[in-house]
Amino acid sequence: MDHRPQAWGRPRDDVYGAYDHSYLQNSGPRQATQAPIVTGTSVIAIKYKNGVVMAADNLASYGSLARFPDVKRLRVFLDSSVIGFSGDVSDMQFLDRHLTELSIDEAYEDPSSDSKAGQLNAANLHKYLQKLLYKRRNDFDPLWNQLLIAGFDGDSKPYLASVDLRGTSFTSPSLATGFGSALAQPIMRRYAATEEDAAKLSREEAVEVIKECMKVLYYRDARSLDRYSIAVVTKEGVELKEDEQLEKQSWAFAEQIKGYGTQTV
Amino acid sequence: MTSIGTGYDLANSIFSPDGRNFQVEYAVKAVENGSTSIGIRCKDGVVLAAEKVITSKLLKQGANKRIATVDRHLGIVYSGMIPDGRHFVDRARDEARGWRDNYKTPISTKDLAGRMGGYMQAYTLYQSVRPFGITAIIGGYDSELETPVDGEVGSGPSVGAGGKVEGKKHGGPFLYMVEPSGLYWGYYGAATGKGRQAAKAELEKLDLSGDGESTGLTLEEAVKEAARIIYVAHDDNKDREFELEMTWISGADGPTKGRHLEVPETLRKEAEKYAERMTAKDVEDEEETKEGGDKMEE
Amino acid sequence: MFRNNYDNDSVTFSPQGRIFQVEYAAEAVKQGSVVVGIASKTHAVLVAIKRNAEELSSYQKKLFPIDEHVGIAIAGLTSDARVLSNFMKQQCLGHRLTYGRNMPVRTLVDMIGSKAQINTQHYGKRPYGVGLLVAGVDDHGPHLFEFQPSGMTEEMVAFAIGARSQMARTYLEKNLDAFADCGREELIRHGLKALKESLVQDRELTIDNTSVAIVGVEKQEDGTTKPQPFKVYDGQDVSAWIESVADNAEAAPATAEGEGMDVDS
Repeated sequence: MDHRPQAWGRPRDDVYGAYDHSYLQNSGPRQATQAPIVTGTSVIAIKYKNGVVMAADNLASYGSLARFPDVKRLRVFLDSSVIGFSGDVSDMQFLDRHLTELSIDEAYEDPSSDSKAGQLNAANLHKYLQKLLYKRRNDFDPLWNQLLIAGFDGDSKPYLASVDLRGTSFTSPSLATGFGSALAQPIMRRYAATEEDAAKLSREEAVEVIKECMKVLYYRDARSLDRYSIAVVTKEGVELKEDEQLEKQSWAFAEQIKGYGTQTV
Repeated sequence: MTSIGTGYDLANSIFSPDGRNFQVEYAVKAVENGSTSIGIRCKDGVVLAAEKVITSKLLKQGANKRIATVDRHLGIVYSGMIPDGRHFVDRARDEARGWRDNYKTPISTKDLAGRMGGYMQAYTLYQSVRPFGITAIIGGYDSELETPVDGEVGSGPSVGAGGKVEGKKHGGPFLYMVEPSGLYWGYYGAATGKGRQAAKAELEKLDLSGDGESTGLTLEEAVKEAARIIYVAHDDNKDREFELEMTWISGADGPTKGRHLEVPETLRKEAEKYAERMTAKDVEDEEETKEGGDKMEE
Repeated sequence: MFRNNYDNDSVTFSPQGRIFQVEYAAEAVKQGSVVVGIASKTHAVLVAIKRNAEELSSYQKKLFPIDEHVGIAIAGLTSDARVLSNFMKQQCLGHRLTYGRNMPVRTLVDMIGSKAQINTQHYGKRPYGVGLLVAGVDDHGPHLFEFQPSGMTEEMVAFAIGARSQMARTYLEKNLDAFADCGREELIRHGLKALKESLVQDRELTIDNTSVAIVGVEKQEDGTTKPQPFKVYDGQDVSAWIESVADNAEAAPATAEGEGMDVDS
């Protein structure tokens, strides 16, 4: 038997044959992130007359496993904007740290003034995140997220925009990521199909629409949770509630669903 | 100046035969000509104050800040060559950011002082650079709370004290002063610049060393004393007008919620009134003692 | 050759703690022709005297646009100013690209301050031989900054640098309280009057040797403000202003100017 230290802990050549070192070679193309690992599902948001409402549930899934049931996916920036993260949670944490540094730098600019004048608004922040995500995509090392950014633009009008892992960005009176774009977006569009419609919505109506959408998402998205965070952005600042429970659930419709599991009919 | 003409003072990093680096000593001279800066550490926070001599009527009032924020919980004030001070602050901000990148947590006041002391010292080592023409006072309030690491987005299972020793006091207010040589010490009260002698004499009279909760100056009292000390230190060159700039840092339960912020205008005005009253009284007292003929020693 | 042993480079302190090379660089600023800057609540103006090397040569430009919302006036080595100007242009452009907004003026000025300070602390470098007045607008309104070769930058209400600028500064100090509420026309006239104070005996302001630049904020109908881009005026464009401050035109009515030069209310 081979007693030399370099053979310690290795399968014995005389039993298993010579070790095939080609498995350990790291030649070939360099690979960075190929898939998200721990993920958050949909983020949804809708504009209304005086601001924007956004929500996301508090679940981080590991594949189909509901791994972390207490993960906050809405983040306040400078008390004037909210960013909602879907997709990879560790990339979200990276972005969270990055945004912390950005907001510290931003505070250096104007230490004495309490006003929001001169600070990065949601439109500036969205532009910045778009550049960041697009750069990472071009480095073939994407941050695997789709983000919603809510707040106000330079003209103090409600602002809502999205950017994804490819740097694609767009804006709309209502936005949803992931499953939400199929399940929640049609509902939100019933209330705010255009900017004009959104400008007629009251805060209460907008919150109600969002809560309804969160409920539908919980009914139909298997990677979702009934505990969620909801943020309302107004000119005065951000009101963020991070531990909400879905109310008035009704699973009666489930009786009608056929074609799954042990059903035989 | 016995050093002049010997040649040992013409370049940085050169030792003279008696073991001195004259260029560093000359840098200290630049500091001693600068306007006064002070820092006070009291039981519930830190106050930084700067005397800004108004060199021109055309300067925009209150627009040119001399006390800078680093991260969120640290402040730096400096005396000497202002552009050098700006560079120093830029570096301190880089250090604080680098610390966060590495450790996912804010830098402590002590660690920042250490990093910046090292940075200043490096500028005494080479002939290719000159030392900093500033002395900087670094104040900070390190959080006493159980804070999440940066990027933490939820709660996992509770696993105890998170590396902190139970029963031991963590965090609190801290104050350091870094000199052109790179030397730095922790202080209860620190002063530098032109009026440092007078300021130090006043600082020594304050009750700052008490660590107990019940003894020593409160933060509000320290703000007023800081204003008074700047006024006293300015006394020698009365002819030149000045602006007073003050910042403070309290703990999470105090007025600044752990952040380094400018002292609110109302409190600053109040402190300035107090300072004016006290310095006027001092002058009266002095005149009285002169008339009375008895000598006062201080 | 040298005045003393301590003035050969910018890395040697004198026994008094001075750096002579930096002080000499400040002298270079005084070799340049005079420039004046004033800021009001709504505008910032720069005015300058241009020089020509000889009768038949053109006049050296003194005012330069940096970005839509910022411009500079220079006194000293023009080639050094060009380095700083290019740097400022790049920074403003980069900021616009990443954040979609105008770079805050103080941030920009701090950047050239830091850049200039490096030159005063390292062997083999020399301080910039130029002083600048930086005029611009941002979310906080109009600003005027002075930049010195030492890296010192300060925000001013009004200032003058360059040859014989002390006389202009005296004029500015005398009229200091009037500036804040001045409209753009009034502000320009104050600038030109300050400039005249610094002229050599028998010299006058002409359309060939005078430059005017202005930047401001306009109030929109909906209450928001919009920057009025930095614009330099030369030649015939400045003739009306020059006439309005001519010694024999002191009583000229304020509305005597040409098209697009109405007085702000």
